[in-house]
Amino acid sequence: MSQEALLILAPVVVIPLLMAFLALLPPMRGRVLDLLPLAPLPGLVAPFLAPPGTALDAPDLLFGLRLEMTGEGALFLGFSSALWIAAGLFARSYMSGTRDRPVFCAFWCLTLAGNLGVFVAGDAATFYLAFACVSLAAYPLVVHDRSDRAMRAGLVYIVLALVGETLLLLGMLLAVAAADGILLGDIRAALGASTDGLTIALLVAGFGIKAGMVPLHVWLPLAHPAAPTPASAVLSGAIVKAGIFGLIQFLPLGGDAGAWGPFLVMIGIFGSWFGILVGLTQSNPKTVLAYSTVSQMGIVIAVIGAGLQLGAGAAAAAAVTLYALHHGLAKGALFLGVGVMQKSGRKSAGYVTLALAMVALSVAGLPLLGGALAKLAIKEPLGGGLPELLVTASAAGTGLLLLRFLLLVQDMRSRVASRPPLAMSLPFVVIGAAALVTPWLLFETWSGHSLGYAFELGNLGTALWPLLVAGVLAALFLGFRPRRVPSIPEGDLLIPVEALTRRGMAAWRSGAEQLPRPALEIRRPLLTAAGAWLGRVEGLLARWAIAGTLMVLLLLAMILSGTLFG
Amino acid sequence: MTASLPILLLLCPLIPALVIFFLREESDLLRTVINLGSAVLKLLLIAWTIEGVVRGEVFEYRLEFVPGLYLLLRVDALALLFITLSSFLWLITTVYAIAYFRGSENLSRFFGFFNLCVFATTGIALSGSLITFFVFYELLTLSTWPLVVHKGDAKSIAAGRTYLIYTMAGSAALLLGIVWLEGMTGPIEFADEPTLDDLSRLSLTAIFVLCIGGLSVKAAMVPFHGWLPQAMAAPAPVSALLHAVAVVKAGAFGIVRFIYDVYGIERVAELSLGLPLAIVASITIIYGSLRALQQTDIKRRLAFSTVSQVSYIALGASLAGPFATIGGLVHLVHQGLMKITLFFAAGALAERRGITSIDQMVGAGRHMPLTMLAFSIGALGMIGIPPIAGFVSKWYLGVGAIQGGYGWVLLVLAGSSLLNAAYFLPLIYRAWFVAPAAMPEGEAREGPPDLILPAVVTAFASLAVGLFAGFALSPLGWATLIVEEQYTP
Repeated sequence: MSQEALLILAPVVVIPLLMAFLALLPPMRGRVLDLLPLAPLPGLVAPFLAPPGTALDAPDLLFGLRLEMTGEGALFLGFSSALWIAAGLFARSYMSGTRDRPVFCAFWCLTLAGNLGVFVAGDAATFYLAFACVSLAAYPLVVHDRSDRAMRAGLVYIVLALVGETLLLLGMLLAVAAADGILLGDIRAALGASTDGLTIALLVAGFGIKAGMVPLHVWLPLAHPAAPTPASAVLSGAIVKAGIFGLIQFLPLGGDAGAWGPFLVMIGIFGSWFGILVGLTQSNPKTVLAYSTVSQMGIVIAVIGAGLQLGAGAAAAAAVTLYALHHGLAKGALFLGVGVMQKSGRKSAGYVTLALAMVALSVAGLPLLGGALAKLAIKEPLGGGLPELLVTASAAGTGLLLLRFLLLVQDMRSRVASRPPLAMSLPFVVIGAAALVTPWLLFETWSGHSLGYAFELGNLGTALWPLLVAGVLAALFLGFRPRRVPSIPEGDLLIPVEALTRRGMAAWRSGAEQLPRPALEIRRPLLTAAGAWLGRVEGLLARWAIAGTLMVLLLLAMILSGTLFG
Repeated sequence: MTASLPILLLLCPLIPALVIFFLREESDLLRTVINLGSAVLKLLLIAWTIEGVVRGEVFEYRLEFVPGLYLLLRVDALALLFITLSSFLWLITTVYAIAYFRGSENLSRFFGFFNLCVFATTGIALSGSLITFFVFYELLTLSTWPLVVHKGDAKSIAAGRTYLIYTMAGSAALLLGIVWLEGMTGPIEFADEPTLDDLSRLSLTAIFVLCIGGLSVKAAMVPFHGWLPQAMAAPAPVSALLHAVAVVKAGAFGIVRFIYDVYGIERVAELSLGLPLAIVASITIIYGSLRALQQTDIKRRLAFSTVSQVSYIALGASLAGPFATIGGLVHLVHQGLMKITLFFAAGALAERRGITSIDQMVGAGRHMPLTMLAFSIGALGMIGIPPIAGFVSKWYLGVGAIQGGYGWVLLVLAGSSLLNAAYFLPLIYRAWFVAPAAMPEGEAREGPPDLILPAVVTAFASLAVGLFAGFALSPLGWATLIVEEQYTP
């Protein structure tokens, strides 16, 4: 058993790590891109070979490293690996001839190792390690172009990623202390038993940043479009899912988490609509897709919230997994499609648009396509009522949003008549087809319904009416052609926060003794004063007399405290 | 044999020190051979000692120098943790220093005092009684001063003066505390629980404050940290020694010794002295980070980072509870490995490219990839990114703080992590992600290897001690062993 686990589970992480190292070796220089589609292969194979419950222990590593295959983890691992392979193949062609390929490939493989590691981690420390790895290693992918836009996106990304890591670490430390152990099973049990809101809040915020939970989503619409297209595909399709997987791994689904259930439902539904409304004002197709991810992840978070609320944890986790699978594959395909479109002339653009439209309709939930099944699966866990209605109605918004995407992406097509290379169009088509088909294969196991359920008249109607509404709205909009459409900059809520932070940082720095005087544009007198004050304190402390006096005072204070508390 | 092992460990750096003082300046080769030979020999002796301690042997040596007053050398698990770290880093720093100073003057003086400094540190680690500890602690102060002023310019001399004033005053406080304590109880040996029950609460508190206050000068805790950033005037190998191997570490080690083996964790808790110390340590952690953020000079930024990071050790010791204690102890090693990496790298950057301020870091990753790789690993470790060493310390400190009921410490850890990120990442960012305006053509490649590789070795060591933390002989495993002894008398 252990032998088997070693041969199946370890390569999932070890092979990408090795390839990250290989990529930097000089002899690999010419063929370095060939590594990309190979690295995720063990991850694709493992779910088929290792039954849930297979575990691998390495007590000498970290605090006793444990890799474990879980039911949900296997599915996440499988679809993410598939997407990484497709994106890797795509990148082989897309990235050829670009600068710094070895570095790109090394960080690609490192990000991959972290991403897949999240899905097979069996203890909190390993999970945190994998999560940090995927967060930080993705930074060089985001800024690969080195354009001003990419650098800004990278800055926002890394700041939020670090804040997320820190919150997550605190949450995990609290959880580990409560569980008195680091195994994920123990932690889940301990969190379910306690009513500690703080731990859950920290975990939700930490994972929420990665999962694009509004209002912590601001990195997403900046980073996804700024990264090279294959990296955008895995960011949106697989890496964001690491946050979702964290939520269903750690939160005590099925237990009673107090107000957190309703809160997550609310913030999730709000996010799903927020993503749609802001996304509609965007003019870059990749940004539109990023906002669509924000919106879709909002729905997933709402389902997780419902699972916390009603005590139907297992069903919610299963539904979330299926939904994440479909979204991961579909969104990956849509991003790759943008890249394919850039290489298509007028003639082949039609076919590409058709394929994109199929995938887009699946995301919007058109019956008979994979997405409709995913939407059906989350229907029951959502528990009816207003949440379900709002989620169903959001499909109309998704339809409009993706229609906007389809219109915008037309501008991307190549000016010269050309056909996209097979090395790019094939991964796009395969992963898109997988998004449409795979939910059919998994639906019965993961939703608890037979396939006939999908053909019930009521369910067909629920899936269709939002799309009809979307069609009518689109027709109205196109008919009237309003002169002015509001435009919200990428990153929406981020813009004011960013301005404030920038001024604050400048003010703080100006307090250091190295700068002769504060720069003129600074209008934060309080922070400047605080910075300068700190500099003065340092100057005072540097004089021994004052430090000596302080020591005597400290002595007095400690004696006092000793007598008072004793 | 058993008894003489501690004395051999002490002689290992002492004899080279005395020999090197009398070497002529030109005899580079001989000096190098003596330096490296004794460092390697010492590591072998330590391996032997560890093997003995694991088998359960006790190494003890008493040396009476005045009737009634004797030096006691004793090897226990805590001593081994410190001595292994300092000897390993000593070897690497020696390699680095030889490369760094190649072709400069006054090297016999430098390496003589360098070895003397290591001798004192070994003595501190091996001391089995308070008086022995104090003797070596003073010796360390004196033998470090010539290193701080090695350059001989006005700035170095001023730094040396500040260093002496601070540490001497600290030592005076420490001596006062020791005399007061031993005057009431007789000589104190770390191995036996001293009987402190006769002392009044007030005098116990006062002695604690005097001793910890005195020790915290070398440990660079706020408000006694002023000497450390100034001492950055010294050359890079000295900074590495001050920050990671000897001086600052000796202070932190002293605090740990005093709390565990003189007062005992229970008495400290009973006198409610742990919390004030934890608060001072926390203030130091945050204050040091905030000041580091303001610096534009790389070495000054690193110096304030040390102020912040060393207090993790005191924090772990003051919080009590097994997990926090392990976290503090293991940070003694972890901080040493990471910080020495940063100083090696900063020294190499300054030496080879003249890079001293943060703005000059632009494109450094392209010119000196190995150095910057090592620097990045060290810096990420300081932030607490797994699986680098700093993460392990932070994890144990955090869990320990929660178990002990000090939830607020988590905020300190989180704040420190974010501040560390704020002052380290811009350096990494400039080095790797900003293209230099013009590539300096025709300059020498990265090298020589003995200047570059020490940083790489310590960087990978800090990666390895984190990744293989579960291994029985890892610093974490060793710290766990020490704490188990502490909690199961």
